[in-house]
Amino acid sequence: MKTKALLSTASLALAIAAFSAGAQAQIAIGHLEDRSGGTADVGTPFGQAVADTFAWVNKNGGVGGKQLNVDTNDYGYQVPRAIALYKKWSAPDNKVAAIMGWGTADTEALTGFLAQDKIPDMSGSYAAALSDPEGASGKAKPAPYNFFYGPTYSDALRAMLMWAAEDWKAKGKPGKPKYVHMGANHPYPNAPKAAGEALATELGFEVLPPLVFALSPGDYSSQCLSLKSSGANYAYLGNTPQSNVSVLKACKAANVDVQFLGNVWGMDENGAKAAGDAADGVVFPLRTAVGWGGDAPGMKTVMEISKMSDPTGKVYRPVHYVAAVCSALYMKEALDWAAKNGGATGENVAKGFYQKKDWVPSGMEGVCNPSTWTEKDHRGTMKVDLYRTKVSGATDGDINDLMGKGTIKLEKVKSVELPRKPEWFGW
Amino acid sequence: MAGPSLIPAGDFRTSYAADTTIFPATTSRNFAIVGVLLLCLLPQFLSGYWLSILIQIGIFSIAALGLNILVGFTGQISIGHAAFFLLGAFTSAYISNNAPIPVFFAIPLAGVVTALVGLIFGIPAARLKGLYLVIATLAAQYILLDFFSRAEWFSGGSVPASANPFSIFGYTLRGDKQYFYVVLAYVLASYILVTNLMRTRDGRALVAIRDHYLSAEIMGINLTKYRTLSFGLAAFFAGIAGALYAHYQLVVSQEGFGIERSILFLAMIIIGGTGSIMGTLMGTAFVVLLPESMEWISLHLKGGAIDQALSLNNNLTFLREIAIGLIIIVFLMFEPDGLAHRWRQIKAYWKLYPFSY
Repeated sequence: MKTKALLSTASLALAIAAFSAGAQAQIAIGHLEDRSGGTADVGTPFGQAVADTFAWVNKNGGVGGKQLNVDTNDYGYQVPRAIALYKKWSAPDNKVAAIMGWGTADTEALTGFLAQDKIPDMSGSYAAALSDPEGASGKAKPAPYNFFYGPTYSDALRAMLMWAAEDWKAKGKPGKPKYVHMGANHPYPNAPKAAGEALATELGFEVLPPLVFALSPGDYSSQCLSLKSSGANYAYLGNTPQSNVSVLKACKAANVDVQFLGNVWGMDENGAKAAGDAADGVVFPLRTAVGWGGDAPGMKTVMEISKMSDPTGKVYRPVHYVAAVCSALYMKEALDWAAKNGGATGENVAKGFYQKKDWVPSGMEGVCNPSTWTEKDHRGTMKVDLYRTKVSGATDGDINDLMGKGTIKLEKVKSVELPRKPEWFGW
Repeated sequence: MAGPSLIPAGDFRTSYAADTTIFPATTSRNFAIVGVLLLCLLPQFLSGYWLSILIQIGIFSIAALGLNILVGFTGQISIGHAAFFLLGAFTSAYISNNAPIPVFFAIPLAGVVTALVGLIFGIPAARLKGLYLVIATLAAQYILLDFFSRAEWFSGGSVPASANPFSIFGYTLRGDKQYFYVVLAYVLASYILVTNLMRTRDGRALVAIRDHYLSAEIMGINLTKYRTLSFGLAAFFAGIAGALYAHYQLVVSQEGFGIERSILFLAMIIIGGTGSIMGTLMGTAFVVLLPESMEWISLHLKGGAIDQALSLNNNLTFLREIAIGLIIIVFLMFEPDGLAHRWRQIKAYWKLYPFSY
């Protein structure tokens, strides 16, 4: 009798252990999103896409038979809150396999810790300082566990400046064109400042002193008057749409004749809708080959993923949503590789990023641009696709209609393939 | 009725020393000692989450203590306290990064530097009162914050500065479990220091200025000296707390230390009780725990009946911010003397139980 009781207790204990092991057989992922801070306008669709993609991955069997346990947190674009969350994610008892990060300030603050704890971070920041894994360029600290999908901010700006120089010549205007950097005094808009101004000088631009405007919407008439009085021809908008739109509108009202160049986060369909005809003609880079509803085989996958949070399928998803689906799927495939090659630990996941050349996540053909990460260079791509917003009418009404009717259009301007110059590495 | 001024019959003191003692009875002193010893054991039992909350309470309570000297004991006001906190953080990070000084010494040094800057900003305080003083301290907040965002040599400009982990003579402390003891030591030292300060001639001078500055001046108290001094003291503790925060986070960013953080410091002492040293600790604990408990509530509301009925969805996070504001208003209306007063009433109730009247 006693033996039987002992046996049953032991088997029960085993069953409980097996059950709890089963419950723990998940891959933990940390996810930082900004839905309430300075970049909430682009952070919301991006964060939603990351959450949707991982939910979709879980619905389709997870990674290596394990479900992803995604801890999504709105950190309000504040570094201290990101650090506090990182402490939670890097604690030895519940260490995450990977992080989907967001801002430049917080990602740069975390870089050293990520390397120390060996946790890969796919950030929403494309600051060039995060692209140098070994610190070989001498211009940035080593960032071996930082990844991002898309051209660096600096490379995107370089491509736009090269286009601007051609544009100036094509228009046949006399004299030197004048270039000005605009944005908040914050690591994100500041990231490509030096690189942009250096290339602008090289290309024969006259570089004007930078103009500062906050990340939040506001009255930026004085900045527009400075633009006008200084006679700037090309202006870089380093912030996100919500504040850039304020500048575009104020400058339209002040009749400023300047070609705006937007950061990759600087403009989108919602921004164009909000700014109306003031947004007409803004040039900015697109990270994906097509936008929402575009003609590509991979768009079907994006639509399916979007249904995770919008079963009706009627919500319009801006360019940042599509780019985030790509980012999250690269992470998913790196996790896949890690799960098959020794388990989904941070170190293996990082190695997973180095396995393919001209990599497009499966099911995303024609949407995500081919990317290649190596141990020595985390610039996933050197190709920058430049688009121009075209607004041809009143932009009140549903964004689906506006895009469908072509009231707002994103027109391709040029594809620039930048050389991998060593002197452009890491800044 | 059991206020601090009402001493029960039969309980009288025959010397000034006995009258100003910190612990009125041996039992209360023993309780305090046992409490501290229990706190020392806590890191072994607590999860990382609760440990980080305790560390935050500890750090912010030191800063709030400084503010309570200024507001609660001297009757001045400051809405620039967060800037001094940040100055301490950047100074300590700067000292330990750029000079061969271990973090152990950088923290008190940062407190001294912050105190000196606080004295400078305290000069107008010697002449200003009320609303004018509020504006003057607001200026301090903006001037310092603007300095941090531009002085790249000092604070890294817009890029967050990094701070070294706590170290002393080549031995480095890593992780929350060890850092908890550093914060605990500083909390104990600060609270004992301020409690004793209030028993001295200088402490009583501050209280006299608060109660009636004109009478104080007539009695020979140098108003200018003590008002400025109280600013320096407030800045000193803010600097110490900021330095502790820097070496806890290992990264110093000026984000989250704008005027709203200064107001949160004020909320800590108002909720805890202005002019109460123990109340400062209670108020800080309350303000730190409030958003956490709101987070917990909103997590449990998520997907529930209330959530669906009001279709809150993503707005749940904003509910948290609203609740914090609401609770502060409720406190000001129904508990103007703060948690310290409530605590004394609870203590008196049990002391006299069941014969309280």
